[in-house]
Amino acid sequence: MKEKKNDLIEVSEEYQRELLKCMEALHDSVDTLIKNKISHTKLDEVIACEHACDLLKERYIEIIYKQKRALPFLIEDRYKIINGLDNIADKSEGLARHLKIYPFEFYQDIKEEMTHLNNITLETIKNLIEVVALMETDFSTALTKTFKSEEFKREARNSKYTLLEIIYKKTDNALKSVITAGLVSKMFDIVAMAEEFSDYLRGLIIKYPSK
Amino acid sequence: MDFTLIIIIFLILSILIAIGIGANDETFSIVYGSRILTMKQILILAAILAIAGALLLGEGVAKTVGNSILNYEATEAIVITILLSTAIWLILASALGLPISTTHATIGSIMGIGIFVWGMTGLNWGMILYMAIWWIFSPIVGFAGTYVAYKILFKYKQKRLKGFQDYESYEMKFAVIVLIAICITAFSRAGNDCSNAVGIVIGVGDMDIGFLLIITGLSLACGLVILGRVVIVNLGEMTELRPSTAFAAQIPTAVIMLIGTIQKIPLSGSHMLVASLVGLAKASKTPMKKGLWKIILIWFLTFPMSALLAIILYFPVSLFF
Repeated sequence: MKEKKNDLIEVSEEYQRELLKCMEALHDSVDTLIKNKISHTKLDEVIACEHACDLLKERYIEIIYKQKRALPFLIEDRYKIINGLDNIADKSEGLARHLKIYPFEFYQDIKEEMTHLNNITLETIKNLIEVVALMETDFSTALTKTFKSEEFKREARNSKYTLLEIIYKKTDNALKSVITAGLVSKMFDIVAMAEEFSDYLRGLIIKYPSK
Repeated sequence: MDFTLIIIIFLILSILIAIGIGANDETFSIVYGSRILTMKQILILAAILAIAGALLLGEGVAKTVGNSILNYEATEAIVITILLSTAIWLILASALGLPISTTHATIGSIMGIGIFVWGMTGLNWGMILYMAIWWIFSPIVGFAGTYVAYKILFKYKQKRLKGFQDYESYEMKFAVIVLIAICITAFSRAGNDCSNAVGIVIGVGDMDIGFLLIITGLSLACGLVILGRVVIVNLGEMTELRPSTAFAAQIPTAVIMLIGTIQKIPLSGSHMLVASLVGLAKASKTPMKKGLWKIILIWFLTFPMSALLAIILYFPVSLFF
């Protein structure tokens, strides 16, 4: 039983590391796009990490469901947590694939803001992973950290609309505008999803001591 | 009628009642509800404890019911009527999937027939009053005890537990404690339940108590294994249970049942457990599964209905015995 519990924690930590690697690779890829030197190796790394996350998730689910005597509420909540993280990994892969087929040079005048949005995205996911890890041992710090996600989302939303305002005014290449706007939206969606998930985690943190 | 034939009829009826009691035994429902053991493990353990409890603790309580409620010696017709009416009421309630108090059904039948045959003087009212106080008192203590136990645990939990891992180890500790408490309850309850199946037989015949208890224990186990899971599932899912909350619900039940058995008072484990679960739901502000009113209604109906049933059945039975 104890061995299985340790397995569970180990797989969970491995999953978190892999997701972080995925997000860092995505962050670097967007950076290379901004510098007009898109790195396909980094993009492939995102896709590979997402696949690794899927495998780890399967292993994790297998472990939690093998624990016949484990507490049902913990099984259910841990299952939802791993699913929540997996949705973010899926979104990252989607963005990586979008970047892979992005056929244009990046707009010069939005590079700075895009770098900002890219950094916020990475920070949001890092923060989310920390919350998930902290929930194992320290609800109180985890709770405080969930509020940071809201700040990140607000910042990301400002950044998104600043970028879209500039992009929508471009008249030279409509297709480039649409695809670049899509890129911005996809990046913001990751932050929004992370914030939504962070809200759910806050609910869990509140629920546990109150039941 | 031939005495041997009468004894065989008594035994068959006792076995049927014991099977019915086993089928209606909800002791392990909170172990199922909080997922401490699987259904298969529950049934094996419950069967072992039913046999052990009947053999080691059954004698004292069985004698109390058989000899203390009636002021006169029961005839064969009376004994069969009581066993029949208890069995019928038990089967009717089980068919509806409702956990009832077999103790109340048996004693309701004894009282009904006692008053009908001998009038008010037929019953030992002092003993009945003494039991009634326990029957009223025990669910109230179950409710209040669970409420208080939950609140104490809740305070502790809020202060000490910091994360999932803390909760996990905390609940695991309670899983072990609950299991021990349930085993004690099941053990003492098997002793207590014996009275319902064999108590009145002891009041009439000269049968070997040890043999009767073995038969009863085995029959209780049979009922549990064959039909018991329905009631276990129904009650186990009555409200949200975790090992720690199951502990809060179980401790008052276990303590009172044990005291009842030592005092030789046949108590209703069903009433206490349901009262404890209601106390738990109130304390934790968790909604209860629909259908509680049906359980309460059948509790109120058990005494008058089993008494009435006994009176009605007495006429055809007395024609043959």
